[in-house]
Amino acid sequence: MQIDSELLTKLETLSHLRVADDKKEEIMRQLTDILGYVENLNELDTEGLDPFFSMLEGGTPMREDVTHKEENVAREILAHAPMAEEDFFIVPAIIE
Amino acid sequence: MITLKEALTKSKEELSEIVADLESKAKQSDLNAYVGFEKSGEGVPILIKDNIQVKGWPVTSASKILQGYIAPYEATAIVNLKKHGMMAFGRANMDEFAMGSTTESSFYGPTKNPHDPTRVPGGSSGGSAAAVAAGIAIAALGSDTGGSIRQPAAYCGVVGMKPTYGRVSRYGLAAYASSLDQIGPIAQNVEDAAILYDAIKGHDPKDSTSAEFEYESIADRLDRNAKMTIAVIDNYVEEADADVRNAFEETVRRLKEAGHRIVHKTMKNTKYDIATYYILATAEAATNLARYDGIRYGRRAAANNTQELFFNTRSEGFGEEVKRRILLGNFVLSSGYYDAYYVKAQKVRHLIRDAYNAVFEEADVILSPVAPSVAPKLGSIHDPLEMYKSDMYTLGVNLAGLPAISLPVAKNAEGMPVGLQLIAKAFDEKRLFDAAASMEKAIAYHDTYNERER
Repeated sequence: MQIDSELLTKLETLSHLRVADDKKEEIMRQLTDILGYVENLNELDTEGLDPFFSMLEGGTPMREDVTHKEENVAREILAHAPMAEEDFFIVPAIIE
Repeated sequence: MITLKEALTKSKEELSEIVADLESKAKQSDLNAYVGFEKSGEGVPILIKDNIQVKGWPVTSASKILQGYIAPYEATAIVNLKKHGMMAFGRANMDEFAMGSTTESSFYGPTKNPHDPTRVPGGSSGGSAAAVAAGIAIAALGSDTGGSIRQPAAYCGVVGMKPTYGRVSRYGLAAYASSLDQIGPIAQNVEDAAILYDAIKGHDPKDSTSAEFEYESIADRLDRNAKMTIAVIDNYVEEADADVRNAFEETVRRLKEAGHRIVHKTMKNTKYDIATYYILATAEAATNLARYDGIRYGRRAAANNTQELFFNTRSEGFGEEVKRRILLGNFVLSSGYYDAYYVKAQKVRHLIRDAYNAVFEEADVILSPVAPSVAPKLGSIHDPLEMYKSDMYTLGVNLAGLPAISLPVAKNAEGMPVGLQLIAKAFDEKRLFDAAASMEKAIAYHDTYNERER
């Protein structure tokens, strides 16, 4: 699998990340190398195997759909947030 | 350095002296193993990896993006540790978001290996392992997603243990790859590792992947004379370098002398473990690290609108290795490639677990190298794929969710430690620790290499 600049741009968008211009060639080569390597899995027959994997027998357990409120946690987070006022996080204007 | 076992017998006054002494030594050290000297609780001081929440501490996963973050709650492992006569003392350096094998990707700069400051301590729990090895921590907590406890323990000549997935709550551990991450102990010896493991384990309703089990202590029931059937994976050993192969052969000889039965097995080439891990771990990382957006916590970059805020915060806040893994993870999850990479790797994960289980039908534990060589020089690994390949012996254990323990067995001609790991079947920590205690006794590493009194 070849990662070209078009695909890299798509991945940057999906990742909300920008790769510096002088690093782009390097990262395309590295990602291409890594993907070339991981394609070795195609040598293995996985016909009929389950695409889900859990360490717990029977998978992750269900629980009652109830909220657990720890108000102090919310306050602590707001107190140390990059920008917050009262009970809100402040962000740049979304609507002009 | 006083052992954890002994420190737990000390009075409050004696412990405060120990803490003061430790703090002054740790502050004088130039290893860069500590990135903070915070204290929380009372008792025997335990060094905490910088990705485990201790309420009121800055906890940053050694990343620029989490500068300014203060943990609003306590990880369950920390709550448990405090119930057992221990306190949290200091934050340990690590690879950014636990992504790396050398601790060089830390925002705080690399940690040095105490056995040779021109070499890496391993990673990602490099600060934890280096501090215990250097005698500036009694014991430490690390986290192991693909070998991040066992490999630095091996490079630094200390004991590092990864519990069965689900044994130790992940509540309060910064998520890297949620289906692989486990918190575990790094200690001076097997018994101390068992004491710390006993303290932190337990079912936790706050972690939906936490396993339910009856609590049984291990440390006070360690059987150093247990006789086991130990499997050696011949094709694994062949791929290690001469230092590791020699140490391995000598260890097998000593284990036979101690009355253990050795059986020889082969397993699939580790290249499949590497491929499966770097697909699944990066996919989970891309998802988990989507939360770092600059809105709610950590560092926010300057921006004129929210789109710019996301892009600038993440582009400035994440280091190169983290960016590489997020990009890779979003590739294997993206439409058109999802089935060929992510789903394929999920299926292979079953094959990997089945292969281990087949070995455990005959063997109690597996003896395996931890890394193909001793600790490399700082700055010597330039290619990410080359670094990923050096994780060949540790990844399978995480993919299969198994418990494993790394302990030092030898030093090479340059005085660098070689560690080997024992692997047991899921939830068989008792046998794992018994085997490790027996191996520790048979090798007598500290007597053989006359470790100086620190």
